[in-house]
Amino acid sequence: MGFGKYVGARVLWAVVVSLIITTITFLLLAAAPNPAIREAATQAALQGGDPSAAVERERELRGLNQPLYVRYMDFIKSVYTLDWGWSESRSQPVTEAMLQALYYTAQYSIPWTVLTITLGPLVGVYSAANMYSWRDHVATGFAFFGYAIPNFFFGIILLLIFGVWFEVVPISYDTSAPVFSLQNVRQLILPVFVLVTGSIGATMRVSRNESAEFQNSEFMKTAKAKGVSPLRAYAYHVMRPTMVPLSTTLVGQLLALFIGSSLLVEVVFGIPGLGRLTFNALISQDTNLILGSTLVFTFIAVVGNLLEDLVFTVLDPRINYDDR
Amino acid sequence: MLGLGGATALAGCSGSDGGDGSDGNDGNDTNETDGEDGSDGETDDDVYATAAAASFTTLNPIYNTENGAGNAIARALDQGYTFDENNEYVPLLYDLSTEDGEVWTFELREGLQFSDPYGEVTASDFVYLIQEIHQSSWANSAATTSWQGVTVEETGDYEFQATLEQPSLLWPESFDPLLYPIPRDLLEPYVEEEDTDGLRQDEELLELQFSGNLGPYVLDEWERDGGTRYSRNDDYYLRDADDMPDRFNDAPYFEESEIQVLGEQASRLGALETGEVDSAAIPPERVEEYREDDEIYVNRVPQPYNEKISVNMRDNGWTTGPGNMFRYTEFRQAMAAAIDKESLIQGVFRDFAETHFTWQPRFSEFYPPEDDIPQFGVGDSYGSEVARGLAEEAFEQSEYDYGFDGETMVDPDGNQVQLSIYHSAGQETEQLMGEFIAQELGNNLGIDVSVEAIDGTRFNNEYWTTTEFPTPERNEDGEVTNVPDELVDTVNGEEVEWTSPSATNPGPRNVTANEDWDMEIVFGLNTYPRNPLTNSAFFDGATAFYNPVGYYPGFDAQELFDNAQQATNEEELADALVELFRNLAEEQPYIMLAFPDSTVGYREGLEGPIENFSNGWDLPAWRYE
Repeated sequence: MGFGKYVGARVLWAVVVSLIITTITFLLLAAAPNPAIREAATQAALQGGDPSAAVERERELRGLNQPLYVRYMDFIKSVYTLDWGWSESRSQPVTEAMLQALYYTAQYSIPWTVLTITLGPLVGVYSAANMYSWRDHVATGFAFFGYAIPNFFFGIILLLIFGVWFEVVPISYDTSAPVFSLQNVRQLILPVFVLVTGSIGATMRVSRNESAEFQNSEFMKTAKAKGVSPLRAYAYHVMRPTMVPLSTTLVGQLLALFIGSSLLVEVVFGIPGLGRLTFNALISQDTNLILGSTLVFTFIAVVGNLLEDLVFTVLDPRINYDDR
Repeated sequence: MLGLGGATALAGCSGSDGGDGSDGNDGNDTNETDGEDGSDGETDDDVYATAAAASFTTLNPIYNTENGAGNAIARALDQGYTFDENNEYVPLLYDLSTEDGEVWTFELREGLQFSDPYGEVTASDFVYLIQEIHQSSWANSAATTSWQGVTVEETGDYEFQATLEQPSLLWPESFDPLLYPIPRDLLEPYVEEEDTDGLRQDEELLELQFSGNLGPYVLDEWERDGGTRYSRNDDYYLRDADDMPDRFNDAPYFEESEIQVLGEQASRLGALETGEVDSAAIPPERVEEYREDDEIYVNRVPQPYNEKISVNMRDNGWTTGPGNMFRYTEFRQAMAAAIDKESLIQGVFRDFAETHFTWQPRFSEFYPPEDDIPQFGVGDSYGSEVARGLAEEAFEQSEYDYGFDGETMVDPDGNQVQLSIYHSAGQETEQLMGEFIAQELGNNLGIDVSVEAIDGTRFNNEYWTTTEFPTPERNEDGEVTNVPDELVDTVNGEEVEWTSPSATNPGPRNVTANEDWDMEIVFGLNTYPRNPLTNSAFFDGATAFYNPVGYYPGFDAQELFDNAQQATNEEELADALVELFRNLAEEQPYIMLAFPDSTVGYREGLEGPIENFSNGWDLPAWRYE
């Protein structure tokens, strides 16, 4: 199988996976009680009406009296035509809400991701090259510190130091700041720093241990013997094989971090992004919005895995497409 | 009546909100978490910035039920009237007058303008809004319950009349006649189609694009989860009003205005310290620290939300054994007498609270004379001896053999009485209060109380309210034809039917929510000091609209409310209400503890904030020296 075919097959598989997940989501939703209906019943009771009649009306209005397969087809159609409904908790269309939140999340998560996946392996390899020296200990200590300290707490402390005491960064997030501006850099530097220190630890440790393996390998000896500069030797001969196992865990790891850490960091720094959107959607039982964020995260996960698979084959030419 | 927002209410907590636009509004039943977190002005005097703890669900004035969003709307759109620091009615968009409390005349200020193309605000806009939206069966607006049974009639270009089913001298104080101005032409297409979703989602309403000269600022942007941004409205109508204080002549005094959503308290306080926002609610334990800061001053603002213990008198309460003791007035009195209110206020609220004996704060005009009401939990009415004496009286009335074994209260099997009390997870003040209560009930009544944290929304949905309750049968006209047995109970020797059960009072004590619980301090309730008649929702009998605890009044509460409702002069009204509050102090339907004050920090130099329930009524006129 050629590379093109392989990519085609992976993409097709990604579509199937997303369809399966949306179907499961639909079934769960269909089985769960609908808050809008409960609300209708309460309303009717308050106004001295008949709750059961109100429930019937509401079910009809929302098309819930139709057979399951009709509702399923409607659902799938709306999902793939991006007709994701209205978010009651934010009073705006779900797609608009997702886009808006994504806009703010991207502003800190892109630098965060880029820094994590570049700095992590770099520091790891550096550590390995200087194993058990004071440099290694500093790097390891830094990684463990970042990994261990809870992001939101670290964020608050940094805000206190740099925002309240030294007043070099603003406490509140200004949504009107242009994306590429000094103002935006100032207000995002702390969240990005907190997130990078939080996520770099694991990557760094894995790459340190992985690369330790390759340092004394035959091909490194050969490279050194041939007079390859240390930088080139590490970049080409150690970094590359190190990245292979690392890349398999990266997407899953970053996704988990995206949902978890970004919420707390967004709360602390007042950034109106995806984490807060998802959390607020959950606590206010905003079904459409929950569904929307589920779909977005599903999409990111599926695409992420796809990319991971592709990167895998590029990084390690020994992996051939036929076996998978 | 209560707003629907209160009815379907949310997680509440102790008085952690405060700040600018709270405006002494009697709004909701339960004290919701967060809301506006106070704050105004900015060191840079051109921007007037405040912080809110939670984002807004909607800014559509027809559907908003949240305090925080109400403050965000208020920056750009005035409502009909307000009350000043002397509790005097202040006409904004309209004046209200009546002869007898039954027919009320709304007299509009002239020169009120919507944005183009809607033109001048006239009586027909208001009448249309009331009749076609608030009184319609399809729109389900937030003010629906306020306008039930009210007949409205347009009597001139700038005048209309409302006739109430029952006269009410305190109608303005109930905030029921409080309206937002909404252009009739904007509403008409939705009314013709009966399009609820369209009305909810209308962009002009959500973005307040029609606000014309009707608010101090113009809304520029609403960034969901981020906050709102405004610019000065140079045409603000109150600048030309002769009947307003002079300081309104140049109002507002800031070029821009902002409400930032900052979910984290540490961030809000940090922003206050650096001047990014100019006021924030300050937790009681940190007030001293901020008082020492030269750039900040702290105000103590009394407010009507109480701290009380709800005791579950329904069948899913008193989980320790048979025979729910909470149902006996003497037992509730014993609990009130076992808790030292002054120590609670000192220890938990750092002295920033008032003792709470009856269902009104002391600043209310209807607060009964101090000598008239029992004051449990202070002086001679506090302590182990008093509490035990009262508990013994309760035991005597019970068919079950409860009693004291030495210091310990024991059930018929001789085991110690064990109860639990729920508080909101993450609310430090509440947790402290829970622990103090547990300790006092342990020391003075020998009850073993465990303190448990719970999420407010979960408590509301699974413990406090229920959506599964029996309903009476109705005919096609909606009249009740048959009430099932589960909805009938004997109260004070009379048979009572629950003809309109609701989530907050699903029926007699045998109808319960999903989960068992004994006591809670999750919710602070509003005591409605401006219009105490609203409290009928809690107390006008066993079938009261909001009665999750299953309280059956031991006195004729319905009659007292009727007397107050029908009063033709202030004196009759006060008599009936004072009598009511005397009875409530006696019965302790909820174990009343304290009224915490809001403690709000402002940037030094900001003029306008007052230490009064009406703080914020003149917000457009606030400014820096």
